[in-house]
Amino acid sequence: MSLGDQLLAALALYGLPVLFGTTFIASLGIPLPDTVLLIAAGSFVQQGDLNMLWTIVLTAVAAVLGDQVGYWAGRWGSDRIEGFISRRIGGVERMQAAQALAKKWGGPGIFFSRWLVTTLAPWLNLTSGIALYPYGQFLFWDILGDVVGVLIYLTIGDIFSDRVQAITDALGSFAWVVIGLIVAAFCAWQLAKYFRAARRARVGS
Amino acid sequence: MNKQQPLGWQQWLLIAGLVLSLVVAAVFAIHGLQRFPRRQADEQIRGWMSVPYIARSHRVPAALCYAALGLPAQPPDRRPLMFIARAQHRPVETLIVELQNAIAHYRLPSVLTPTAPARSTP
Repeated sequence: MSLGDQLLAALALYGLPVLFGTTFIASLGIPLPDTVLLIAAGSFVQQGDLNMLWTIVLTAVAAVLGDQVGYWAGRWGSDRIEGFISRRIGGVERMQAAQALAKKWGGPGIFFSRWLVTTLAPWLNLTSGIALYPYGQFLFWDILGDVVGVLIYLTIGDIFSDRVQAITDALGSFAWVVIGLIVAAFCAWQLAKYFRAARRARVGS
Repeated sequence: MNKQQPLGWQQWLLIAGLVLSLVVAAVFAIHGLQRFPRRQADEQIRGWMSVPYIARSHRVPAALCYAALGLPAQPPDRRPLMFIARAQHRPVETLIVELQNAIAHYRLPSVLTPTAPARSTP
């Protein structure tokens, strides 16, 4: 019996404490099927086994708490990491560039990683801390993203309440579609930048 | 007229990344659409599922599933199959087979119901 099945069985029997614990641990970056559990919780809410409000509140709180651990671990370790990068990779400039990039794009990145590309969320927590992304902004985007994520997956569980296994299998595939499209968009953007610069150089010469 | 510069290895790498990521996205999109739950499709019975959930997802009365497992229908037992199997000292696979047989048997008459004869055209 897989770990996912064991956790789903525990959720069916013990309810919200299992969902809280799994969501918190998964937010730290330990690979647990928290999204599957959340969809199943939506199904249990629909069947009247779980209370909707408590499910939303406890899951969002667990996710936000787990994310704070990741952020502060990165933030406290940021001096050491900065020193390591300066010594090994070359220069604080790169670190400062990364910090500037995090400040510019960090908000949407944090928001979307909470529910769209959830596998990236623990890494973004850590890197936001390392890049000294302002804590107030991190907390804002984190809470917003986690609440939206909880609502989306509970609603999916509610709609597909008698087909939890099938919908989680399908969503697992769609997560890779999103990752593939993000990488494709990044490559296309870099290529467009290159071709624009090359054309400008040709016109200039 | 200015000649276009040949692409460097970084640009070829980006082109390869673009093509590869689009292929990955397309493959998983097809895979996901194939697995997307259809309303009449049955869920594969798993150990985490409770009897009411199995009955709902297979559109059969819960009493039928309880009877197949030798459990009373009232009060409704909401334990997952793996816990029921543990309590009955039986492997969960045995319970799943018993449920599948009961569901198949329940549906059998509707499959064998004769369809109305086609109207003959004048």
